Amino acid sequence: MVDAVVEPFLQMNGVGKWFGNLQVLHDVTFSVKKSEKIVVCGPSGSGKSTMIRCINRLEKHQMGQIHVNGIELTDQKKNIDRVRQEVGMVFQNFNLYPHLTILENCTIAPRWVKGIGRKEAEDIALRFLERVRIPEKAHFYPSQLSGGQQQRVAIARSLCMNPKVMLFDEPTSALDPELVREVLETMAQLAADGMTMICVTHEMGFARQVADRVIFMDEGKIVEVASPDEFFDDPKESRTRRFLKQILY
Amino acid sequence: MDFNYIALALPDLLRGVRMTLVVSALAILISLAIAIVGAFLRSLPFKPLHYLVTGYVEFIRGTPYLVQIFFIFYGFPTIGLTLSVFWSGVMALGIWASAYHIENLRAGLAAVGNGMRDASASLGLKPLHHGLFVVFPIALRAALPSIMNTIVSTIKNSAYLQAIGLIELTYVAVEKISYEFRAVEMFASICVIYLACIFTVSGLGHVLERRLKRPYLGR
Ligand SMILES: Nc1ncnc2c1ncn2[C@@H]1O[C@H](COP(=O)(O)OP(=O)(O)OP(=O)(O)O)[C@@H](O)[C@H]1O
Ligand SMILES: [Mg+2]
Repeated sequence: MVDAVVEPFLQMNGVGKWFGNLQVLHDVTFSVKKSEKIVVCGPSGSGKSTMIRCINRLEKHQMGQIHVNGIELTDQKKNIDRVRQEVGMVFQNFNLYPHLTILENCTIAPRWVKGIGRKEAEDIALRFLERVRIPEKAHFYPSQLSGGQQQRVAIARSLCMNPKVMLFDEPTSALDPELVREVLETMAQLAADGMTMICVTHEMGFARQVADRVIFMDEGKIVEVASPDEFFDDPKESRTRRFLKQILY
Repeated sequence: MDFNYIALALPDLLRGVRMTLVVSALAILISLAIAIVGAFLRSLPFKPLHYLVTGYVEFIRGTPYLVQIFFIFYGFPTIGLTLSVFWSGVMALGIWASAYHIENLRAGLAAVGNGMRDASASLGLKPLHHGLFVVFPIALRAALPSIMNTIVSTIKNSAYLQAIGLIELTYVAVEKISYEFRAVEMFASICVIYLACIFTVSGLGHVLERRLKRPYLGR
């Protein structure tokens, strides 16, 4: 038997995006292989969020192509739904449902999107809550948890849908400093388990430890792509150097 | 104050309050149903519907309630829609209250953060499920205090319906005064009855609020 050629799992090709007259993505092209971990960084307003939000169609791109696991993102609802089943996302502000318990937060999508029965959905949820190390909070409400715990629940909620790639949009930047670590450890664990990940983050320690490649964006363009060591120790572009100087004081 | 007289008048008054409560209850149901539909239509991206609902709200809130009652009772038959006194009253009260409930729901919807839509979309929830299980419950909880306010006003405003001859509590009192001349006894009595009804309803509202609030609002 011959293995299929390793197709990129996710591909962006010449992607352009405008908000009104403002072009926020210019010719963004990159691809991600299965199991690869990408860290995206860049100054505020450089289009990092917009770029990863295009991957599950929270934002609509107007130019170029995006393929996820061979499915092209177009206006077709069917494709969008299929892609969203493959892609999980974790947000800066957690976006947990405040009126639902932790367990209900984790079961609502498996039950109503995949039609899984309540009991089975709860078993799956508890398994992932154990994996993010908060099974004992299953019957609490989000407001009763610390920010770090909420973000770990958000990760578990996403994992319950069995995604093949996880997107993180600054998952630790709304957290108190002492809570950042538990979330990064959870993400590192996920990476070690082989998840394909795209993380917008400025956590340099995490990037060095986990990332296969770092993508640096500025003004809606990809400026530099490099391995973490190259990126932090020997950046090629002057804009990258300026940015690194700023975030490292 | 002649308490014997009040005791004798009580059966008539209780018949009146029964009508008050039935009309109010139906009007409350109708107003909430109209409001949910209205708030939903207004949330759609189709602008003309938005203006239609806003126009409805502004029209109801900008015209005297008594005029609306007369308009429905005397005006609707001219367009071929003849309603009994009872149903004219229910419709007038329900339509009046619906305008306020639409506004209550708008405030509730504004309390649903933008992040909820992102979360649901990223999880693949259908818009219908997102609306039913996420937007609606969050909005309802946020709107509940003002919804309760409007419900209390609905009960009180049923008194205006005596103007078209609906035999509710105030009508009964006014009519008895007109031939028995015990104004103080009658108005005191119906005030107590209205207060009792409204305390009961707002008490139920508080219980509901506490039940629904659970821990998520406070911390
Ligand atoms: N919904 C929107 N409507 C209009 N403009 C938007 C919208 N969202 C983002 N923008 C603009 O698009 C540009 C890119 O924004 P984006 O949020 O993607 O940047 P970012 O790199 O994620 O920044 P940050 O680090 O602050 O999160 C910015 O100029 C922003 O003002
Ligand atoms: Mg951002």
